[in-house]
Amino acid sequence: MSADAPALVAARDVARPRKPWRLARKAVWIAATVLVVAAFWSIDISWSALLTMPQRLVHYLGLMFLPPAWAKFPDAFSATMLSVAMAWLGTMIGIIVSFPLSLLATRGLTPFFVRLPLRGLFAVLRAVPEVVIAVLMLSVTGLTAFTGALAIALGSMGTLGKWGYESFESVDTGAIEAARAAGASRVQVMRWGVWPNARPDVLAFWLYRFEISVRASAILGLIGAGGIGKMLIDNIQFRVWDVVGILMIVVVVVTMTIDQISGMVRNRIINGYWQLPLISAVSKVVRKVKR
Amino acid sequence: MSTPPVAVRPQPVQSVQVRPDKPRNGPKYAIAIVVLAGITVWSALAVEVDVAALFRNANNASRTLIQLVQPDYSFIPQTMPALMQTVQMAIIGTAISIAVALPLSFLASRATNPNKTLLAVVRFIMNVVRSVPDLLYASIFVTVVGTGALSGIMAIFLFDLGIMVKLISEALDGIDRGGQEAARAAGATWLKANRSAMLPEIAPSYLSQSIYVLELNIRASAVIGLVGAGGLGMLIDKVRTFYQYHYLSTVILEILVLVVLLELLSSFTRKRLLT
Repeated sequence: MSADAPALVAARDVARPRKPWRLARKAVWIAATVLVVAAFWSIDISWSALLTMPQRLVHYLGLMFLPPAWAKFPDAFSATMLSVAMAWLGTMIGIIVSFPLSLLATRGLTPFFVRLPLRGLFAVLRAVPEVVIAVLMLSVTGLTAFTGALAIALGSMGTLGKWGYESFESVDTGAIEAARAAGASRVQVMRWGVWPNARPDVLAFWLYRFEISVRASAILGLIGAGGIGKMLIDNIQFRVWDVVGILMIVVVVVTMTIDQISGMVRNRIINGYWQLPLISAVSKVVRKVKR
Repeated sequence: MSTPPVAVRPQPVQSVQVRPDKPRNGPKYAIAIVVLAGITVWSALAVEVDVAALFRNANNASRTLIQLVQPDYSFIPQTMPALMQTVQMAIIGTAISIAVALPLSFLASRATNPNKTLLAVVRFIMNVVRSVPDLLYASIFVTVVGTGALSGIMAIFLFDLGIMVKLISEALDGIDRGGQEAARAAGATWLKANRSAMLPEIAPSYLSQSIYVLELNIRASAVIGLVGAGGLGMLIDKVRTFYQYHYLSTVILEILVLVVLLELLSSFTRKRLLT
């Protein structure tokens, strides 16, 4: 055994397979690097502003949070609730409209001339950011919280539609086949073959989309749709920094709370037990699924 | 025991008894539906749903709409600097954020960070960072460092950081830890074990998420200009305040093309990376 060892060591370099030389991969890396360097080099920025930035940031953070204007808390809270309401209503409309449409856009359930236009519609809606949708709508109807909700509804239709048909297409085909064999109509195949299998995923991404909408509704406020965003931009423009501070605290706390609640419900839907995502992130508490 | 099973036709009645009880979920569903409907009604009241308002200034709206569906393509040369700036902001923001996100995600994953306190602290901070919307970061940086691309890049950077760290640390949580265990057993420190056993495992998903973030950034950097952070958004804000709707739709078309192109590129490369 020990006599073989030196020979093995000597043979190692020969025996080891040559590292593959991947030209395409190298080319992609070089292209990416060049792109990044070019972007840094060509952009018109006075980088010297970065030097004073930490100092200025600390200054402004001090103005915001030392101390925040706690007296404004009730206003901030009700404005945030308006944003949440906007997000909820928008997501609800989005769900109600996109659900049947995404069933119609599922491969294998409908003919192509129904499917393709719908997919195109979803793609266009996804490509336009919500804020841009809102900008378009506001030029037509004037911007209210209701318009904001409609903009969110349109935005969420795009994502929900796509996620919908993707998860409907990924369900096990067995149940669909069985339903067909038993003589189910197209609608019955959707109801008994597709929906029961896709339900957990679909419910989970409805929740996830609501989380996105909460953020989007705060943003829509920044361009004038009311709610927390409007209050924020007004106070930033008039440089009332302590109110901005309390608004940021409220936004962060409400967003995180909604994320936690929705994550908890999602845990229940997918894993079958209730657990706060914050807890499951840090320590994996495995609970028996009750059957 | 040894008697062969007798082929007896199962009685229909028996088979009904063998069947498990159907779970009684009716009340649960009813409660869920009532709660959901309640929240929906509350939200509808809060945002003051008023469908008639949409049609009230229909006259005004039709003029705007006519302008909107007639994009003025001669405006495109003038948008080029803003378009370039949007792309530059997106690339720089992506580059910085993915570089910073990599070590942070190792600190934010249960699988790679043995220190529970540090883990909880990093996770909490990243949760806070993630719950601030990008446009809000932008509007704050615009007041802190002034209007222009720098504040946009800062906003994009923070926004991406939250997303990247979440996605990558979740990928780290999910992978097989056998290699890491072996490295630890062979005497490697956590840093070395993570570097040699965990990093290669998540490299494909790291790259694919980076491309995804770049895609998000193109979208975001087109928008954050609305509050003065450079790029196409600033242009949108400008033409909107002057009611130049045929210019507005040109800019929006450009964003659309940009986003679709990047989405194609991203879905193509991600498919290659993950298979």
